Amino acid sequence: MENISFYVDDKEVIIDVDPSTRLLDVLRIKLHITGVKEGCGEGACGACSVIVDGVCYDSCLTPVANVIGKHIITIEGFRNTSQYRIIADAFADFGASQCGFCTPGMILNTYALLKNNPHPTEEEVRVALSGNLCRCTGYNAIVKAILDIAENGGDIEW
Amino acid sequence: MVNHHIPSTLQEALKILDKHDCYIMAGGTDLMVVKHQRSGLIPNFDKDVCYIANLEELQYIFEDEKGVHIGAGTKFSDIEDNELVPEILKQIIHELASPNIRNMATMAGNIANASPAGDSIVGLYLLDAKLELVNIHGSRMVPIKDFIFGVRKIHRNQNELIKEIFIPHHDDLNTYWRKVGSRAAESISKITFAGGYEVENGKVKDLRMAFGSVSITVVRERKIEEKYIGMSLEELHNHVEDIVMDMSKFVQPITDQRSTKEYRYKVAMNILKDFILTIE
Repeated sequence: MENISFYVDDKEVIIDVDPSTRLLDVLRIKLHITGVKEGCGEGACGACSVIVDGVCYDSCLTPVANVIGKHIITIEGFRNTSQYRIIADAFADFGASQCGFCTPGMILNTYALLKNNPHPTEEEVRVALSGNLCRCTGYNAIVKAILDIAENGGDIEW
Repeated sequence: MVNHHIPSTLQEALKILDKHDCYIMAGGTDLMVVKHQRSGLIPNFDKDVCYIANLEELQYIFEDEKGVHIGAGTKFSDIEDNELVPEILKQIIHELASPNIRNMATMAGNIANASPAGDSIVGLYLLDAKLELVNIHGSRMVPIKDFIFGVRKIHRNQNELIKEIFIPHHDDLNTYWRKVGSRAAESISKITFAGGYEVENGKVKDLRMAFGSVSITVVRERKIEEKYIGMSLEELHNHVEDIVMDMSKFVQPITDQRSTKEYRYKVAMNILKDFILTIE
């Protein structure tokens, strides 16, 4: 066990934990951030996505030792931002969420995409979400929601 | 008792590796899958772990007159975005795993994992990449083809760390890449092929063919390539079946959960023919 510190949703966290513990387990079990979902547990579905220093990681494959000193954004912190509201409203308008299990990962990957590329093409959207599986929507509704933001979102500060 | 070492400098890491037999953890995208037990349990490591993902001394890409140097800690997404990196490696990385995994994983990790289906390794064989291995006493350069000798088998001494991947300049090499998998993203390759060629005054000046996922390591045979260097394009195209025959001794795929040996062999050779016949 070792004291490991990092930032989660702008709060400093110091925990005594085995350094190989999955970041996903630290977030869900120790910090009770259950908005971060576990799907496959092997980096194939993207449900456990979190943002680490500006880019998306699969938290199920991240040993907590790898995020020492880093800034993590989870869906539970992101939901308090105006950017979240824009993405969530678009997802709702286009029926882009059904059971909702993939949605936290979808939203964070959407945010990571739009932050770097506010006006992506359809191909760029599909590539950006290629690591996020959804078994309900068939993806088209999600892609349409994101393209609608890209087209009609104006000059949103991402 | 398994110890976890989290060095903050390269020198510290090398001292740890000199004393302890460790798993070297970079992005974790292979090791964390292999050692995973179940949700809520810590991974099942049977020896010490040394974490190197955040060593700043290993995060770099630069070029000199000889080639491009990629620090072992550089993530795939940073390699893909860097203008110094050869086009074929960018192409390979673009189809490798998923965006999240490309943000976490390193090319050095892909090499050290030494899977026959490691996509970036195929491109590195094609480009005659070398690895710089360091320990507390010094460093050595090893061609990648001499570093990997089997499925998950590498010539790394316990006290060594891959510090850098060096890719010699190939400014005039035209390249070709095909990956065959079950879907567009996140697929573990059934077959991969990287080709390279140079043509000057209608003659083949260089020819390179590297196959992944069809043997225990990447297949590339310089002696066979050299047989066809110096031919005119017409001669090369007329010899396509001979090239297939020559390579068939080395392209020896197996049947596993991803594909069958028959499919892999047939498709690998079809890709090889396509590569040869499209050279102009």
